[in-house]
Amino acid sequence: MNRAVKIIVICLIGVLFLCLFLKKDAKENRYILDSANIKPNPDAVELNLDYPIPVTKTINGVDYLQSQLPIGKFGGEIVSSTIGEGPKTFNPFTSTDATSSTMADMMYDGLFTTNPMTGKVLPKLAKSIDIRGNHYIIHLRKGVIWSDGKPITADDVIFTWKDIIFAGLGNTSTRDGMIIEGELPKIRKIDDYTVEFIIKRQFAPFLRMLSAPIAPKHYFSKDKNWQNNFNRFLSTNINPKDIVSSGAYRLKEYVPAQRVIFEKNPNYYMINKNGEKLPYLDKIIYLIVGDINNQILKFEAGELDEISLKGGDVARYKAKESASDYVIYNLGADNGTMFIAVNMNTRYRKENGKIKYFVPIKKQRWFNDTNFRKAIDYAIDRDSMVQNIANGMATPLFTAESPNGIYYNSKIKGHKRDINKAKNLLKNSGFSFKNGQLYDKYGNQVEIDLSTNAGNTEREALGVMVKQDLADIGIKVNFKPIEFNSLVNKITNSFDWDLIILGLTGSPVEPHNGKNVWYSSGPLHLFNQRQPNQPLKDIRPWEKRIDELFEKAALKLSFSERKKYYDEYQQIIYNEAPIIYLYSPIRIYAIRRKIKNLYPSTLSGLIYNLEELYIDGGNRK
Amino acid sequence: MKLLKFILKRILQTIPLLILVSIISFFIIRLSPVDPLAELRLNPSISQETLQKEKIRLGLDKPIIVQYGLWAKSFVKGDLGVTSSGEKVSQKLAERIPNTLLLTFVVIFMTWSVGIPLGILGAVYNKSSYDRLLTILSSIGMAIPSFFFAILLLIFAVKTGLFPVGGLTSYNFSDLSFIGKVLDISKHLVLPVTVLFTLSLAGLQRQMRANMLDVLDSDYIKFARAKGLCEGKIIFKHALRNAINPMITLLGFEFAGLLSGAALTEYVFQYPGLGRLILEAVMKSDINLVMASLMIGSIMLVLGNLLADILLIITDPRVRG
Repeated sequence: MNRAVKIIVICLIGVLFLCLFLKKDAKENRYILDSANIKPNPDAVELNLDYPIPVTKTINGVDYLQSQLPIGKFGGEIVSSTIGEGPKTFNPFTSTDATSSTMADMMYDGLFTTNPMTGKVLPKLAKSIDIRGNHYIIHLRKGVIWSDGKPITADDVIFTWKDIIFAGLGNTSTRDGMIIEGELPKIRKIDDYTVEFIIKRQFAPFLRMLSAPIAPKHYFSKDKNWQNNFNRFLSTNINPKDIVSSGAYRLKEYVPAQRVIFEKNPNYYMINKNGEKLPYLDKIIYLIVGDINNQILKFEAGELDEISLKGGDVARYKAKESASDYVIYNLGADNGTMFIAVNMNTRYRKENGKIKYFVPIKKQRWFNDTNFRKAIDYAIDRDSMVQNIANGMATPLFTAESPNGIYYNSKIKGHKRDINKAKNLLKNSGFSFKNGQLYDKYGNQVEIDLSTNAGNTEREALGVMVKQDLADIGIKVNFKPIEFNSLVNKITNSFDWDLIILGLTGSPVEPHNGKNVWYSSGPLHLFNQRQPNQPLKDIRPWEKRIDELFEKAALKLSFSERKKYYDEYQQIIYNEAPIIYLYSPIRIYAIRRKIKNLYPSTLSGLIYNLEELYIDGGNRK
Repeated sequence: MKLLKFILKRILQTIPLLILVSIISFFIIRLSPVDPLAELRLNPSISQETLQKEKIRLGLDKPIIVQYGLWAKSFVKGDLGVTSSGEKVSQKLAERIPNTLLLTFVVIFMTWSVGIPLGILGAVYNKSSYDRLLTILSSIGMAIPSFFFAILLLIFAVKTGLFPVGGLTSYNFSDLSFIGKVLDISKHLVLPVTVLFTLSLAGLQRQMRANMLDVLDSDYIKFARAKGLCEGKIIFKHALRNAINPMITLLGFEFAGLLSGAALTEYVFQYPGLGRLILEAVMKSDINLVMASLMIGSIMLVLGNLLADILLIITDPRVRG
């Protein structure tokens, strides 16, 4: 008995030591181990950038859109997937989430679309446009019909803009973005196939906003009370046969939590070079999967034709690519940005007659010191973050626009991690180092809080790295991930935070969409958030300059002039570092070889030209 | 008549219970620092106007007591409200309930029709090598975590291609013939049913065996044996009827778990059932949906117990007393 107890005790002590030893080892080796594991960026198939854009071709009075791609075979289907719960509505005007928007946009074409390679505006349902000063005259295609055979005319366009969008039905973001000097554009019908928009003054993002889908008047306003029921219109329990749409594919079946099936719209207005009606594919299927793991399993089992690869999967897929039935495409950076925002708020509120600052005075001095913010910028090791946290699936970022954007300022080269430079910057501002700790010129030890939303493992890992990186310049960081809702409350309401790691998604073709973040009065002006309707008294010169740049850039129509303004705004952000950008994720896709006419683009993604895709051959090479 | 009175009494008793459950769940959900609009607030393209509209629609600008009142009023009327994304809760539930019922009924039917006989056999051939084998198998069944087992089976499906990877139907389901449809669904059901079956079978078999052993050990069985009654009559007529009583109570609980018991398995297999819906709703703190499913859960539990009691009255004369 005694012997048994002794053996157990010895074993336990042994295990304990082993644990301690391993833990210590793991801690010390974390960095070394990780950086030894650095994988080179996966070199995927080169993107073919000369996508021949479709042209208008009139046959027997019908203004077709003619595909310029090689002739394909008719038939077949593509199975794609969407993560989450599936679409919440098929109404393109009320959708707020990405999945619903994708589905709704498949069914309804807009007047314009985006050139997938250059980001310029391309006509879609519109045949052409005349811009005369502030008058935009749009000519529609003649002979184009809805899926129920009725013609698409100026009345539908007027109805969509006047009675739906400008009337504020559904999701109002398009409408809000179109308010120019407090006024909405005016719209007027010239004849059955011509409409005119009149805006108060030049506004660059305007034309692109006209890409919003066009609704069939006779279908949307069928019900007498349609305005009141608008939010419930085209809900997910609708009978697909009843839907009148214009897109290349129309809804065939929606099975909740399982799949959405689209079938070919035989009335679509696109033709191939032989004059045959597109699309080639009979069906597009979206399987609704709950999470990434299930998606990967389904792709491996051959149930999916296309998948977005994450982190560690890329290397595994790349290794098997040559012997497999798929190709891997690297689409470069996406619209997402990961960043650290610094709270530069210097305002206060009165509580029981006492002045209470949102950020304590001593911290305000640090955060409003450009040298301090730049020192953080220099102390952060972006390369290591990209390799260790994003598994090489990201590109370091130094500005507010992501690298795939057409207004990205490529002159901002950024910098490597430079501890000495960071320390010098701090010394220039009177900071000093004692025992490896940083003290400001008033003798306060620099200790700041860093936060992000708990549960987001990527941001949590970033937080740990930022903490370690800043420890190297003597800044003590308390990293506390908090619940997403509390974080939002801190940002938008109580303003009591120091540093926050967040990510936002922008638009690669229209920097003006970032106005909520960059306008001094913006509702998401993270680094210096004001309460709604607070007067803009304490505005910094460079903040004011950004306001001006956004105003001016919105007034110019030419790309090169706008580029100049947006370049300057990015330079200011880089110099002032109110938001310190970390990286932009890159997108890697695997898609079956049998899918042809594929022209992946950094702007529009992998399969945007669904009308032109076709299937050739089996799954094997 | 007496039975009817009993049922009526039980139903009346459940009303305060349901009210209490609803109050507790409502306040726990609402008092946690969760903002159903957080996602929208951080979306750069959503305007203040839209946010305000949402707030009014969800009743978030009113005090919490009023919110509960509003909820309770509409619940009694049969209106379960809308989800945070604007769909009708009742419709969402109606989409999922048949799928979950299909899965759980198949599982319950299989476990009971296999588990009860196995339990009886285990007890009758107590301590034989057959019983030992059953004990080992059921121990393994109880020891494997369902989540893990489900993932293993999924990997098996991917590697062999014998079974589809999750879901309930294939994408070409609507084009299949009736027989094709039945086959398609059964093919999809095999893996999730295997997981749930293995799990509950083990427990059920052990329970039945223990009950049966107890009864077989009692005096009246010994007496029956001494009287020279044939073994089959002893087991099926005298022992089984007594041993099955506790199982009936268990059946009541199974009924309660019908709709929510398979949540984890449903999640792993991407089965379009109620469990997965509720799990996702809780993660998104979609209050109306969570409340509705909690209420359904409690109603099912109450109903299950009621059902068990009624069955007991029928099988056990002592309860009638």
